[in-house]
Amino acid sequence: MNEARMNPVEEMPDPSRRKFLNTAALAGLAGAGLSVGLSACNKESAPAPAASGGAPAAPAAAHAASDIKLHMAPGELDTYYGVWSGGHSGECRILGLPSGREIKRIPTFNIDPMSGWGITNESKKVIGTRPDGQLKYKTGDTHHIHGSYTDGTYDGKYFWVNDKIHGRVARIRGDRFECDAITEIPNIQGFHGIFSDKRDPVDPAINYTTRVFCGNEFHIPQPNDGRDLDDPTKYYCLFTCVDAETMEVRWQCKVDGNMDLVASSYDGRFACSNQYNTEGGARYEDMMSAEMDACVFFDIARIEQAIKDGKSFTVGDSNVPVVDGTKAANADPKTALTAYVPVPKNPHGVNASPDGKYMICSGKLSPTCTVIEVSKVADFLDGNLDDVRKSVVAEVEVGLGPLHTTYDGRGNAFTTLFLDSQIVKWNIDAAIKFHDGDKSVQYVVDRIDVHYQPGHISSDMGETKEASGQFLAVGCKFSKDRFLPVGPMHPENEQLIDIRGEKMVLLADHPVHPEPHDFVIVRRDIIKTFQVAELDWHPLALRDAKESGVFREGNKVTVKIASQAPAYSLREFTIKQGDEVTIILTNLDKVEDLTHGWAMPKYDINFTVNPQETKSVTFTADKPGVFWCYCTHFCHALHLEMRTRMIVEPA
Amino acid sequence: MKSLSTLRSLIAGTFLAVAGLLSPLPAAAQSAYEAPLPADINTNPDLCASLPCQEVLPGADSFSERMGKPSYVEAYRTDNGDKQLVGYVFLSTDIVDIPAYSGKPVITLIGMDTQGIITGTKILRHSEPILLLGIPESVLTKFVNQYLGKYVGDKIEIGKGRDEEGYIGLDAITGATVTVIAQNQVVMRSGVAIARQVGILKIEPKPAIRFSALDEKLGWDQLVKEGSVQRLTVKPEQLGMPRDDQPYVDMYFGYLNTPSVGKSVLGDGGYRNLMSRLGPDDHAIFIVSNGSDTFKGSGFVRGGIFDRVQVAQDMDAYTFRDLDYLNLWGLEAAGAPSYKESAIFIIRGQGFSAAYPWKLVFLANKLDRETGHRDFVSFDREYWVLDKYQEAGRPTVVKPDAPWVRVWKMRAVEIGLFTALLVAVAVVYASRDALTRRSTRKNKWPVNAFKYTFWVISIGFVGFGLLAQPSITQVLTWFHSLLFKWQWELFLTDPFIFLFWIFIILTTFVWGRGLFCGWMCPFGSLSELIYKVAGAIGLKRFQFALPMKWHNRLKWIKYGVFFVLLAVSVFSMGLAEKLAEVEPFKTTFLVGMFNRAWPYTLFVAVLLGLSIFIERPFCKYLCPLGASLAMPSTFRWFGLKRKQECSSCKACAVGCGSLAIDEHGRIDHRECMHCLDCMILYTDEHACPPLSQERKRRTKAGLPLTPIGKDGYYIPIKPVPAAAPRA
Repeated sequence: MNEARMNPVEEMPDPSRRKFLNTAALAGLAGAGLSVGLSACNKESAPAPAASGGAPAAPAAAHAASDIKLHMAPGELDTYYGVWSGGHSGECRILGLPSGREIKRIPTFNIDPMSGWGITNESKKVIGTRPDGQLKYKTGDTHHIHGSYTDGTYDGKYFWVNDKIHGRVARIRGDRFECDAITEIPNIQGFHGIFSDKRDPVDPAINYTTRVFCGNEFHIPQPNDGRDLDDPTKYYCLFTCVDAETMEVRWQCKVDGNMDLVASSYDGRFACSNQYNTEGGARYEDMMSAEMDACVFFDIARIEQAIKDGKSFTVGDSNVPVVDGTKAANADPKTALTAYVPVPKNPHGVNASPDGKYMICSGKLSPTCTVIEVSKVADFLDGNLDDVRKSVVAEVEVGLGPLHTTYDGRGNAFTTLFLDSQIVKWNIDAAIKFHDGDKSVQYVVDRIDVHYQPGHISSDMGETKEASGQFLAVGCKFSKDRFLPVGPMHPENEQLIDIRGEKMVLLADHPVHPEPHDFVIVRRDIIKTFQVAELDWHPLALRDAKESGVFREGNKVTVKIASQAPAYSLREFTIKQGDEVTIILTNLDKVEDLTHGWAMPKYDINFTVNPQETKSVTFTADKPGVFWCYCTHFCHALHLEMRTRMIVEPA
Repeated sequence: MKSLSTLRSLIAGTFLAVAGLLSPLPAAAQSAYEAPLPADINTNPDLCASLPCQEVLPGADSFSERMGKPSYVEAYRTDNGDKQLVGYVFLSTDIVDIPAYSGKPVITLIGMDTQGIITGTKILRHSEPILLLGIPESVLTKFVNQYLGKYVGDKIEIGKGRDEEGYIGLDAITGATVTVIAQNQVVMRSGVAIARQVGILKIEPKPAIRFSALDEKLGWDQLVKEGSVQRLTVKPEQLGMPRDDQPYVDMYFGYLNTPSVGKSVLGDGGYRNLMSRLGPDDHAIFIVSNGSDTFKGSGFVRGGIFDRVQVAQDMDAYTFRDLDYLNLWGLEAAGAPSYKESAIFIIRGQGFSAAYPWKLVFLANKLDRETGHRDFVSFDREYWVLDKYQEAGRPTVVKPDAPWVRVWKMRAVEIGLFTALLVAVAVVYASRDALTRRSTRKNKWPVNAFKYTFWVISIGFVGFGLLAQPSITQVLTWFHSLLFKWQWELFLTDPFIFLFWIFIILTTFVWGRGLFCGWMCPFGSLSELIYKVAGAIGLKRFQFALPMKWHNRLKWIKYGVFFVLLAVSVFSMGLAEKLAEVEPFKTTFLVGMFNRAWPYTLFVAVLLGLSIFIERPFCKYLCPLGASLAMPSTFRWFGLKRKQECSSCKACAVGCGSLAIDEHGRIDHRECMHCLDCMILYTDEHACPPLSQERKRRTKAGLPLTPIGKDGYYIPIKPVPAAAPRA
């Protein structure tokens, strides 16, 4: 086992890659498969021609005509919102689809001088600060973004996104597309998968999202305070439930293995997470020792009952109740909090089908997709099924490096094949029949080349029961030759594919700044945003320009300013060197889109205030002199004249 | 030098006198006719900075800035430093857009005290031609002054008032009915709108719509067909622009709160989303448009209103700003057209009820190609949620009658009498053979009894009573209407003139213009009656007719006058109307001889004075109306009868007061006034030379005198081929 084998991607030469893949990559994978012992998989692998992974899509398919309108004529509006994560840029983004136009960036875990995110007092409070007032974290890594549900479909209220680096979950308000809360989850590292629940497992009246489930990829010694640095028995992962409304951590669940992605069932009973390193190994070879990995199902109602019943403990400083969801502690399925469904090693991605019946785990290293029937997991936990592996109703080869799956709502699954740089369209029912023994069934419907190395995939409303099967977006990790070269750092390539017909049709390439991971595609009529802000949103908002002025309490000075195009309410304001100055700026303009900016030279401050919005900054006036504060956001014909003097008198 | 300056002042004086003829208004008096107004009159927040607010609210000494919607200003009086609200001042065009006769609004500044009593009205600008020429402007001022002391909540209408129904009447302006009806609406609607807004009048909100359970998805064509989607199209030529195949705007619009309509247009998701955005008093409409221009304009970009569209219901107009606008994602209804521009607008306010009809109004500027002047025009289309979508069906809506309908109702009795008169005239004339046979040269009373009766009636009742004197200006107006835009309302506002013209057109083509001119024209009747009376009282010896040679030259003058007027009207209707003063009608009947400036009175006096000596001098030589009718008379259906012998016989021609019979005995139906004298002769066996000859022959021969046939001859004793009568 060497690195090259584990990651054959790096071996791939660019020219005639398809040919190469047909031979070398297969061989490489076969080697990997043998070395890690994918017996379960291999046993079932039949030489289904469609699943051989190598058949290149007919070139015609890639150029086939599609009448999906990609170019929006001037004034024309996109039909879908694409809600995108931004990866280690730490932000989120809104794209208009199907045009692919980027409409907005939502600073989340990053710092954004345009809006002032990470600069204003309000954003600092959301992000979190150290005792000295500095930001606690300046970095973030957003991967997966999922919306709030009502009755099995998006309601447009919230979107949640993870920060893998620091283990934080951020909430984005769907009515403003701004981050309004960030919660740091205790005792985890590598917060990877995240998913909102779709309804309450117990109360049928709560047919909407109230919980957000958070996976945990990196196991750490618990508590991670330096006492058990190298004792593998003290290492474990915690699955976390966060309250959707309060954003407080409700509970955590101790789990065997590392959790990758997370999904939630439509009936509200389960959250689940595909796992690797069920061995709990700290080193690579230890992570590969077991025959199978798992997809762990959490019985939410049972966990919450156990906490009610006091069967919980806490870890370290955290007072979040933790229940034990390990295999050892849950031997009796009838009372078990968790069920570990074995899946081939090392899976990546778990996605709920729109009909609510199945969870599909992608094989990553195994060329298979595993179809788990949710009701059979329930049967197992209710004592009606003797072996939880029997909940796997299909496990079929789809191609090399299957990662993520989306749906068209018509019974077909679309799985990204990372190694093949393809998308495979396969029929779930056909795969189940094939798995049941009818080897004549062709479950693979179509394949299409994408460019290159696809990761996440998402169709229009594909994560909801309203999956409408018009088109899908696929996040290609490599763009290589697809755009004008801009140096060694390449953009990602988000591609769009028409999935309305039997054959997929590649529609468009869109370069995106690295590195979005996941995204959801939301019908535009679901989103309902404010046109302008409301003064009430900020308790310190100036109601009238007359309220502006300089207010001193000792060396603490508050400067209240209103902006109304093309002027600030104070033409100048004077403070003393050494003052701790808080500037409160309310934009009293009520005209839609009339945003003002506030830049302060040499004080490293810039932010914008939207109509009727208020923001504040606090800093120490440590440099005497005159500082022209000016409007950075073009607001008026006299925008350039919109400025005010901050006069800092020397101490 | 002195003599030179005297000369100069003399010339100037003469010039002034001539100018005075054309423009009778005293130069010193301030006229509101097309008066220039401050450019920012509709937008300046400080309304009273440039307008005489104090004049309409006596006692006020300071005023607020414009406030409210529609806007008004508060008026204050300061007593001992104590500033008290004493009333409100508002500009009519801020509130209502009611065009007067000219098609333009009379811009009026109105004051009202805190009790809702009108304290003053001032006409800042009007474009009414009648007030320019016929009626002194002071009459309109006098009219609007009638509102002083009236309560805005009262029902006030023009006319006598109906006590039993609580209507207070106002004296109208004779000859300017449309102007005062419009002005009444302007003053009352503006007053009510502001009184409601400031709380003097309680707002009685119309009950909100309650939708029926009907909830169905309709295709676009169905929506359009059933009226749930309406269309408002404005063509470039309606805005004074060159004609084009592509409309200026072509808007489909509809009311989205109605579940069936909203869901059909927006889809279920779109409808749900939209409704969740609306407050309880909010209403959403959509507009999609094609056409060469935008209905959105750009006024909204910086927070202003969308200045091209508004929604109107009763007295309320709803405009929209950026926050009242939402994107229309698309049209979900099957078969919907493509479009260039779209919007969802939200009507906010309790006053609006979708249960009742409302209008989408498109506001535009119309270029007057004659003057290059831009005028504010609006186009609208009514929308009313269908019966089936309302739980209790459409409520009963009593719509105020259109001004013309009100006029017709108000004057139903006179209209009946007038119609009867016109019918009677036609019947009498149709029976002329019977009357002429009964008459002889010596005794024309069987004809004249009717004719003189009609003359008297037309002078007294039609002319002085109903003021229904047809005029060349109406011909010019028609001419323009035919060329540009035919509006029935314009003609229907004066029922007598309208009916009269139906009579005129019919009789001119059937018999020639003589029936109107000779029997029914009030001025013509007056003119000839004077001639007849003068003759009867012994002035006959002074009466004369121009020699035929001169008559045949001068009679063409009236055609010249007509064509000059027609030509001028193409360039300026206003000037043509001024020049139409060549007709003495306005002075004689509409305004009254003693109500006008002396040149007009003198002109009428000269014409009527001449009538003592010459039969109908104005009709024969000047009347452009007669000229305009004379031309189609060429194509009359039935003419007067002639015999073979008429070509050489001069008996009729000698007696023809109209000088319409030429040396060959032919009757010129363009000149003939249908006095019927020649028709009396036609069957007069003593006066008609050929008939008289035959009578004598038969008497000599002892033959019997058979009755006179239709051909004007004795019915032959033996069947012999009769000579065809000549028309």
